[in-house]
Amino acid sequence: MDRLIARTVRKHRPLSVHFDLTYRCNERCVHCYLDHENHGELTTGECLAVLEEIAKAGTLFLTFSGGEIFLRPDLFDILAAARRLHFDVSLKTNALLVTRERAARLRELGVRRVQISVYSEEPTVHDAITKVKGSLERTLAAIPLLLEQGLQVKLACPLMKENLMAYRGVMALAENLGVPYVLDLTITPMMDGSDGPLAHRVSTAELLPVLQDPVLHGCHPQPVSQAAGTDETQSPSFSSAVTSGIDGSAYDDLPCSAGHNSCYISPYGDVFPCVQLPQAAGNLRRERFADIWYHAPQLEQLRAVRESQLPVCSRCEIRAYCERCPGLAWMEGGDLLGAYERACQLAEQKAKLAGFVNPISAMHAEQGPSVSEATLIRESGSFLPRLN
Amino acid sequence: MSTTPEGPWQKNPSLAWREIDDETVIISPTESVMHELNETGSFLWKNIDGLRTAAELAAMLATEYEVTPGTALADTEALLQQLASSKLLVPAGAASAEVPR
Repeated sequence: MDRLIARTVRKHRPLSVHFDLTYRCNERCVHCYLDHENHGELTTGECLAVLEEIAKAGTLFLTFSGGEIFLRPDLFDILAAARRLHFDVSLKTNALLVTRERAARLRELGVRRVQISVYSEEPTVHDAITKVKGSLERTLAAIPLLLEQGLQVKLACPLMKENLMAYRGVMALAENLGVPYVLDLTITPMMDGSDGPLAHRVSTAELLPVLQDPVLHGCHPQPVSQAAGTDETQSPSFSSAVTSGIDGSAYDDLPCSAGHNSCYISPYGDVFPCVQLPQAAGNLRRERFADIWYHAPQLEQLRAVRESQLPVCSRCEIRAYCERCPGLAWMEGGDLLGAYERACQLAEQKAKLAGFVNPISAMHAEQGPSVSEATLIRESGSFLPRLN
Repeated sequence: MSTTPEGPWQKNPSLAWREIDDETVIISPTESVMHELNETGSFLWKNIDGLRTAAELAAMLATEYEVTPGTALADTEALLQQLASSKLLVPAGAASAEVPR
């Protein structure tokens, strides 16, 4: 796999594409970063044309997500087209609309993996997050239907204020089902930049009990890879909200796969480097995928970024404990190349747990105490300057 | 149509695969195993259509890459055997429902 990644990164082939078919959803998760109104989704024909184009460009790994994909009445037409084009297909869903017949159809159409969001093993906790009564029961009922068909199922559990300590229950649930899981600490702003979901994000101090849990990383957080990856085993794992399904060890000095060998396509045809970096490089209703992928200035700019040349982070002593995301750096700090508060705080906590004495990120070291105070104001939700 | 060890073979319809820069990546769905074919392997893979025999594929390979017919046939048969043992190829005419995943 490393060889494939290295080859596709070097030649900028879009090996992995995340395609959101809709932002409409039958749940209303409190932390969701999407606008659920339909602002003009790609038609079936447009979706199939997109698939043709990305297949021609070299995409193999294709993830369909949303919104809730089963709200697209043409989902199976799109999956059938993906099968004809020989993609390796994964789905992300809440599984509320999965039936035995639909599970069988997914298998017939060659879907390999289905990732399902589960926030807790407790219905009251899960349903309070999705705002749909009975949603946990329906989601869990779907999992055996998918497993019966031989599909690979993975549970995804974003952790937030409402379910922070629910991860043990989700882990046990996954173990009982015999499926892998991923715990996700990433709660992002809305795609339009508004910060509503951040009200549900736990502070790094509140995360300490989780980071210290001996079940996770054996009490001693290890330096992380420089690029996001995903773990398909059943061992405990954290992940960013978006994973490409590919191992990250071949990315070398690159921040991540975004724009190098992976990208994101919105239901409206916008091409982004990543769902967490919503800077449209072009739109597939107006341009061909290959023209966007190979010539968009936004992508060329992103491809020029090297970790070792980041103005602040490259000098950080605890960089090995940081999971800096370029998209979040842009969305939360306003600078694709910059450091941002959340990543620095988490890196400091992880470094401390690993045995560092008073670890301090390069950004905090440069800011000094007075600026850190300003940062605390931002964390508390106010972006206004102090007048006194 | 009968299938001998020499073929004809067809690609397992349950596979995911893509040719990227003259090399082919194949994902076997049951084991989630990835296979990679080099340029000549990719050439053969592209031309496996459920109709051509090993001898016919070898002849195409010999023409395309200017290798001797004997070498081309030996290499083609070895690759077909390897792909079939990994269930990446199945006997031509096998219905998709009968194809092992």
